[in-house]
Amino acid sequence: MTGGTFSWNGRDVAFRAGESIGAALAGAGVDALGHDPAGRATRWFCGIGACQNCLVRVGGRLVEACLTPAEDGLVVVSADVAEEIDR
Amino acid sequence: MNRAPVLVVGGGPAGLAAAARLADAGRAVDLVELRPALGGAYHRRPIPGVAPWPIGRAGEARWTRLAAGIERPEIRVRLRTGFLGVDGAGFTLLDDRTTGRVETMRPAAIVIATGAVEMVRPRSGWELPGVTTAGGLQVMMKETGRIPEGRILLAGSGPLLVALAGQMVAAGRPPAAIVETGDPFAHPIAGLGLLAHPGPLLEAAGHMARIFAARVPWRRATTLEAIEPTDAGLAVTLVDRRGARERIVVDRVALHDGIRSNDHGFPEASPTASALPFVAWAGDCREVLGVAAAEIDGARIGEEIAARLAGAPIATTSAIRRLAAARQAQDVLARVFAPARPPTPIERLPRETILCRCEGRTVGDLVDLLEGADAPGGREIKLSGRFSMGACQGRFCAHWVAEAAAGLRPDAPPPTPHDLTGRRWPSRPVSIAALVASNSSPDEPTRPT
Repeated sequence: MTGGTFSWNGRDVAFRAGESIGAALAGAGVDALGHDPAGRATRWFCGIGACQNCLVRVGGRLVEACLTPAEDGLVVVSADVAEEIDR
Repeated sequence: MNRAPVLVVGGGPAGLAAAARLADAGRAVDLVELRPALGGAYHRRPIPGVAPWPIGRAGEARWTRLAAGIERPEIRVRLRTGFLGVDGAGFTLLDDRTTGRVETMRPAAIVIATGAVEMVRPRSGWELPGVTTAGGLQVMMKETGRIPEGRILLAGSGPLLVALAGQMVAAGRPPAAIVETGDPFAHPIAGLGLLAHPGPLLEAAGHMARIFAARVPWRRATTLEAIEPTDAGLAVTLVDRRGARERIVVDRVALHDGIRSNDHGFPEASPTASALPFVAWAGDCREVLGVAAAEIDGARIGEEIAARLAGAPIATTSAIRRLAAARQAQDVLARVFAPARPPTPIERLPRETILCRCEGRTVGDLVDLLEGADAPGGREIKLSGRFSMGACQGRFCAHWVAEAAAGLRPDAPPPTPHDLTGRRWPSRPVSIAALVASNSSPDEPTRPT
């Protein structure tokens, strides 16, 4: 597996091979990941998949950004974005 | 004899050591790990092309040993696979994140080795972006070899803050400061107890030397009271031992108030062998004793399960004595890092302080809920108050909510964290689509091909 870029809310984000979506976003300076159902800003917090605070949407499904490996061409949006944003 | 594989949940030191011992005894093992790589928190592996964080000779030897121990045909490692729970008939649900499917299996036994989670005391602003746990920042550093940009403040309590600061200094990015609620130098007698545990002491001394050489401010007996977003960054309010307040502005805050067992939602350990899979817990999820003890405990539990499944007597080993030594070291550390001043009781924090982040429930919400003649119990606090009801299933708030409820209603029986969280599957969120697509036939082979 090699690095590449994925789409984050319509913007290209580079990642290195093996990097999680959350780590790549942090490397790109993205701290606020979207909003939870209560309207509060979400973020990387525990880094181990326990807090569910870094949920993002990939292919319509909510996944933990800290656990999910980035893949080239992946379309990732904030959890509160219902529709996929085209690159 | 039941030749079904033993399911080991968690690819950290306890899980790896347990799997190796089970394989030694000729047992087939399915080892599931939620992440794309083994290692757990301490031995988190870097991505390809990134050098591992230096962890010292003993740590490196441990990892070499653990990794070599599972290189054998009896052990099948399944990465990106989560454990959801076990039902009354002994069927276990696994969430395969690569295929997006939920699978069932019926293991001969289950070893829960899910490690620890960090505790973060609620304080104003802990829910903001830019605020992580210290361990969350550390695993990101270990995995990517990078430290996020900006001024980073480490705050809370315990040896992890010192270790993280030392690693940041070694990487050329010292933290803005360490804010420590305890006053470690005020306990020289208690600290002497650490001399019996030279390994951790040497590791700590190395970190401290780097921290002092880099002149990182180590603010002891000081508490981070509040975090506020401003245009210039995160403004934090610190309270020192005399009660004096100071405001400093940083870009990130990493919080840590100790760790506790990651035990939410997992099946309880079985007292005796039964028709259902025998369940045992190993490592920090059973008792928080640290990485070295986790390896010892995992090996012990692996041997014990192998013996139970074979109907053989359980051999006496040195493990219990070595675990007792680790427990003593943890006790000494707890005394050394004891809070210099009693922390503000949760229920007396400002009303708008978030307790349950997932559901946005505040201290004020809990105070209002518990007012009146008939104080609700733990389950009602969850069901009518929506505390611990959210996606993290109470992992980060149930203990604080239970503590605050007990403080608010000293007359009523104190609720336990488990009253709030319950103990039932799924032990972690799973998509409905994956559940619906699960192979629901109970007669499927336990190792689908």
